[in-house]
Amino acid sequence: MSALIEFDNVTYAYPLPGGGRVAALREISLRIEEGEYVAIVGANGSGKSTLAQHLNALLIPDDGVVSVAGLDTRDPSQHATIHRTVGMVFQRPEDQIVASLVEEDVAFGVENMGVPSGEIRARVDEALETVGLWEMRLRPPHQLSAGQQQRVALAGVLAMRPRCIVFDEATAMLDPAGRRAVREMMTSLHRAGLTIIAITHFMEEALDAQRVVVLERGSVALDGPPETVFVDAALLSTLGLDLPPAAGLARALRQHFPALPAGLLTVPALVEALDFLPHYIVEAPAARTQPSTAASAPLIEVRDLGHIYLLGTPLAQRALEGVTLDVTEGAVHGLLGATGSGKSTLMQHLNGLLRPHEGTVRVGEYVLDDPQTDVRAVRRMVGLVFQLPEAQIFEQYVGDEIAYGPRLQGLLGDSLRQRVRWAMELVGMGFNAFKDRFTFALSGGEKRKVALASILALRPSVLLLDEPTAGLDPASHRELLSHLQKLKETGMTLVLSSHQMEDVAALAGQVTVLDSGRSILDGSVGEVFAQGEQLRALGLSVPVVTQVVEGLRARGWTLPPGLVSPAALAEALSRCLNGFNR
Amino acid sequence: MHDFEFLRFVNIGQYLPTGSVIHRLDPRARLVAGFLLLAAITAAPRWTGLVIALVALLAALVIARIPLGYALKGLLPPLPFIAFLAVLQILFGPRGDVVMPLWTWGPAFVSATSLLNGALLVLRFAALILALSWLSFCISTTEIVRALDALLAPLTKIGLPTHAFVLMVQATLHFLPLLAQEAERVAKSQASRGAEWGTGRGGLLRRARQALPLLVPLFLAGLQRAENLALAMTARGYQGGEGRTTMVELRFQWTDVVALGLSVVLATLIVLV
Repeated sequence: MSALIEFDNVTYAYPLPGGGRVAALREISLRIEEGEYVAIVGANGSGKSTLAQHLNALLIPDDGVVSVAGLDTRDPSQHATIHRTVGMVFQRPEDQIVASLVEEDVAFGVENMGVPSGEIRARVDEALETVGLWEMRLRPPHQLSAGQQQRVALAGVLAMRPRCIVFDEATAMLDPAGRRAVREMMTSLHRAGLTIIAITHFMEEALDAQRVVVLERGSVALDGPPETVFVDAALLSTLGLDLPPAAGLARALRQHFPALPAGLLTVPALVEALDFLPHYIVEAPAARTQPSTAASAPLIEVRDLGHIYLLGTPLAQRALEGVTLDVTEGAVHGLLGATGSGKSTLMQHLNGLLRPHEGTVRVGEYVLDDPQTDVRAVRRMVGLVFQLPEAQIFEQYVGDEIAYGPRLQGLLGDSLRQRVRWAMELVGMGFNAFKDRFTFALSGGEKRKVALASILALRPSVLLLDEPTAGLDPASHRELLSHLQKLKETGMTLVLSSHQMEDVAALAGQVTVLDSGRSILDGSVGEVFAQGEQLRALGLSVPVVTQVVEGLRARGWTLPPGLVSPAALAEALSRCLNGFNR
Repeated sequence: MHDFEFLRFVNIGQYLPTGSVIHRLDPRARLVAGFLLLAAITAAPRWTGLVIALVALLAALVIARIPLGYALKGLLPPLPFIAFLAVLQILFGPRGDVVMPLWTWGPAFVSATSLLNGALLVLRFAALILALSWLSFCISTTEIVRALDALLAPLTKIGLPTHAFVLMVQATLHFLPLLAQEAERVAKSQASRGAEWGTGRGGLLRRARQALPLLVPLFLAGLQRAENLALAMTARGYQGGEGRTTMVELRFQWTDVVALGLSVVLATLIVLV
């Protein structure tokens, strides 16, 4: 019996502008059986997306054969059948939406199949029911959250009744709730008998699959069930990958408690294994009270901030209401909230891009609700790095791109060079190695660093970061975090919003949680992440360390609730485990 | 300078689903009625016709349950241009057989006729803008596409690629607001890097250079989006209009006939009175 999808010695190279080709897939052979759930992981440039586009004949191999349900993708007359056999959900929700109404968009694929209208209606309604968006069918898609838009895209694929669905980094841009919903859909579709292929940068998502294929520079490096793939942290690191967060934590804990077994990949498994160790139920130490920093006035002070988009039109929409925020000088302040909760809007108030409609905003000595305030001075003091900042690169050379801001400030000649060099080194880019590189030829992670450096070159004393790690592969992600850590050590004040709870736990000291434009929780990372239940109800989640603590506490362990760092967890655990497991 | 909401007071292209009688008409009827009105306003030779058009449009806005204040605000942004054109028309319009100019200065002159022409121009533009905004308040892009698709379908018989044309219209309508958002994001992001928009200093070359940080990312983003969209459409089996069916089939009701009849009468009045 032949497999649903079969790659036989497939090679593919992208043509470069101006001649030449760059190899993306090298002699790949792979079989995917009907009903499998396969995760495909790999660093940027490993060929994941190229492979994905071969799965449904969007790309045709230069050499070798891809067959889908027995059909050779090189034969154009089979493409219509292949497209309806293998559906695809892409990374950017807004780029794959064709129509201006949800149900019309879902209908697009079925309409292409030439099905009669009554049947289209039935299939569209069924698909919308499956993804839980039937109530939204008459809305314009752009009014939906990113997670809902991805479910619209999925419904459009489901309505075509495919046998296999490929998710090409479909969760990369989503908030925790959106990601959870899409992951649950993948699992339940797999249970219903569909073949699921998930391409992802999130190792914990690869754990949902039965089989993980690791690509490295266009070849298959590892292929097997998650338990055999996520074993060797050093090997994964050379492949540009990571252990899943829970597995990484388990590995760190094993250095303290060697009795812990190897191969723990998920939070439940880790909790189970810890609970299995002989342990004391000791009195939890009294919650450490943080020394109050209220003595000095905060650097950024936001009171009762309100903002309304399209004010004065029938489409007016309230984005912020009664928001309060205090950021201490030199601190890292995290902003959490689901998509559309107002994080970006709030950030844009902190450097004067938006002016308050209600309430007050003070940044250092600048009062932003006062129309006389010089916003340019505020922008010099506060740098804002937008989401996906690499989209704003416009110069041909890296050096010029970074010099743009300082040049506008009037810097010239040697002082300009010095400034650019300084900014580049802050993000780990050698001045001589990178200043004359073409910006368009950089990798995604490098572009992100250029965009960051181009803001740092303005020497801001406060840096605002909107989803700084979104869409990065594990290696670039890790590197960016370490640069942010270094910036923090230089005393720069950072305000970052992120859907990655691990990032917030690693960097931030204080956290403010936004929901529907209101600030509803505020405190140290520990205090905020101790409210797991509430955070989940808001569409957020908690870092793995906190998840482990929650799991152990549910089993009667006396651990303080607000632990976020692996070291703090290890210390707290040692109080319960010591004596038994030394 | 600190207001980046580029589209705040441009209300052409803004759909307002109020669910009024007009919104419930067949999209083909709405589209045809709108175009009839636009054509009649463009062709109207006398001010009486334009006044009828304006009154009819205000009535149509009220029936469509559009806040009048909002609709009229849409006249403000183009006002300077209209005023400028009107002044040109008044000062330098065709002299024709004018016997007594009220005022002359070099080639410029003002006469009763030219004043009337200026007024006509203002009225015509106001009516055109109101008609366009009314149409866009009352018909969503999806409905425009559906109506166009159905109205143009007969032309496929003589070999015109109407489906491709309609799809192009659809993609454009879908991308415009996205590009506006993108422009806002790029402008904001360059502003936080110290760029200033609209200071108006420097020569042409320098100003063109200032626009680069805005235009290059916008252009690249547009191309990237177009490419992604093409990929997503191919993946969903799009292979042109042939053999395609549609989920929604339009049906004409008696109310649509009445509405069309009314608009024909109105258009005739505007042109003839």
